[in-house]
Amino acid sequence: MSTDIQTLKLLDFFADLNFGELEQMAPLMHLMKVTEGEVLTRKGEPARTFFIILSGNFMLSFKEERSFTLHNKGNIIGWSTVVTPFQYTGTAIALTDGLVLSMPGQEFLRLIQSNSALGDKIMRKINKIVSERMPYVTGTWGKGGTNCLALKL
Amino acid sequence: MFGFEAIIAHDGLGISVIGISIVFVSLILLSLAVSQVHKLIGLWDKRNTYYQRLKKPQKRGDQKIPSDMPVPQDIRRASRQFKLLIEWIGEPFPLPKLLDLSEKCGLSSPHSTINEFIKCKLIIPDDNGYYMWNKQIEEKRSNA
Amino acid sequence: MEDLLIEFLSNTGFALVDYRNIIMLLVGIIIIYLGVAKQYEPLLLVPIGFGILIGNIPVFKDFGLGIYESGSFLNYVYYGVTHDIYPPLIFLGIGALTDFSTMLARPVLMLLGAAAQIGIFTTFLGALAIGFPPNEAASIGIIGGADGPTAIFLTAMLAPRLIGPIAVAAYSYMALVPVIQPPIMRLLTTRKERLIKMEEPREVSKREKIIFPIVGFLLCCFLAPAALPLLGMLFFGNLLKECVVVERLARTARTSLIDIVTILLGVTVGASTQADVFLTRQSIGIFTLGAFSFAIATASGVIFAKIMNLFLRKKINPLIGAAGVSAVPNSARVVQMVGQAEDPTNFLLMHAMAPNISGVIGSAIAAAILWSFMSL
Repeated sequence: MSTDIQTLKLLDFFADLNFGELEQMAPLMHLMKVTEGEVLTRKGEPARTFFIILSGNFMLSFKEERSFTLHNKGNIIGWSTVVTPFQYTGTAIALTDGLVLSMPGQEFLRLIQSNSALGDKIMRKINKIVSERMPYVTGTWGKGGTNCLALKL
Repeated sequence: MFGFEAIIAHDGLGISVIGISIVFVSLILLSLAVSQVHKLIGLWDKRNTYYQRLKKPQKRGDQKIPSDMPVPQDIRRASRQFKLLIEWIGEPFPLPKLLDLSEKCGLSSPHSTINEFIKCKLIIPDDNGYYMWNKQIEEKRSNA
Repeated sequence: MEDLLIEFLSNTGFALVDYRNIIMLLVGIIIIYLGVAKQYEPLLLVPIGFGILIGNIPVFKDFGLGIYESGSFLNYVYYGVTHDIYPPLIFLGIGALTDFSTMLARPVLMLLGAAAQIGIFTTFLGALAIGFPPNEAASIGIIGGADGPTAIFLTAMLAPRLIGPIAVAAYSYMALVPVIQPPIMRLLTTRKERLIKMEEPREVSKREKIIFPIVGFLLCCFLAPAALPLLGMLFFGNLLKECVVVERLARTARTSLIDIVTILLGVTVGASTQADVFLTRQSIGIFTLGAFSFAIATASGVIFAKIMNLFLRKKINPLIGAAGVSAVPNSARVVQMVGQAEDPTNFLLMHAMAPNISGVIGSAIAAAILWSFMSL
């Protein structure tokens, strides 16, 4: 079941998108129920799906079992769908039942590659999230840690 | 007329120099104006900015361990069991390891229980990707 | 009856055709092919190509069919070109489509858009040197702005008979940006410079995006009032987009309106491209100078970026200077491509959009200045 534009507009991830861009995103997104304990992504596996949390609580774990939890509507999981090498860098598990929006990674990537204005907005959001989460991914903490993002556009 | 003769006759150099100068001046002034707009908006929103800073997570090392969160009764029961597991793992502990161990020990609904602990601040992050048991909350509970 | 038949046949295209019509029809077909099969700027080249076919069908003069004949359908539609109605409307759509936030995030990158306009004035001098009169030289120079509507806007004012070849040259070279720019960019930069990673731009607030078109419009038009039609519409379109409360108008501007105007502009510009103007030595000069202007614009942007790096603490990747050539978003994509060829982890696209967009503003200002000078 695809998602309506109003739902997307309320999410911080899509806050900068205009109506036309949301119209392009909406058909790709599908509502998905998750149950407690369900694994959404596994570290190292091909990143095929991008998720946005609508409700529920999730744990993301990375290298050396470092982890953090996500509790807020609009948090994203699966940025590796648009970042090479397109493999999940962490394992995402639902701590409680919830609802997420899922989007096929290939379609998402194709959309942002075909529309540079939309792609810029999305990648800016993703870059910000990646830079916040990168210490967990690389296991390096402190200023000046290099983040090797390989973006293919 | 061709070549430099034509350029001079039609004042080409003058037009070009003045023209490109005006383009540069316009865009320089525009960039200066734009660079100040966000600062002016920031000044206008100053109290909002401070409020947002308070809401943001505190920096590593400055973290105050909250000790005034109420702990529901059923969570208190589960907390004893999880506390034993945490003591076994050692602190700071990886959250996935706690989850894994609690599943192996057959504790019921370990995922949602851990989530409740996090919400009640019984388990708190150490900003290095690991977690700790919040002794202050526990002491407050036992003193109550 | 025989006489009637002979008279009819003598008015058909077969009787009136000469070799120049055939050549122009072939040119039209080639342009359609480039647009459809090669996908070179199809939104403009297909209407222009078909317009060339329409305009070069041999017809009996005074039938009221030709584009230059008063009262003909084409003549009425062409009014929008000759009286500079269509280009500002296209700029309205461009403003409603474009996100200015990358430019607002790091305003200093606007100067790269200014630097790229050196190509316009250098080509203006070159055109004067090879014998074009000043008004035609200015129209040829504006090709270096890599902005089709601006080129048509200025040419309609200064040298309306050259609209056809200049429009074809401008759009063809815009489509060839991925071919023209990379060698120049590589030649003018070292590997170390191409590997520079730029700092992520700051978040731009909604209020900034709303305030900018108003401030930008007032500032630019006070400095260059002749830019009013183009920049007025560009900033108006952007305000419609950013203020959100008139989303319907913004959507119309960036979809139906821009499409309608593009069709009418393309067809009539094509139809106005006739053999007596296109099949001349002048056209060779126009095409040659057009390529020259693109090259100079690219080089100017890159070199200016290198000069800026001497003074900036946070270095910029000089490749983004090439995006000052306002072929939005092609030249920004070329920068991304060239940058990624050196380092696949270097994401330059969003940084390159800043000079790309300021190049649009810069080329409109340059056109206004040339128009002002030529009108003096």
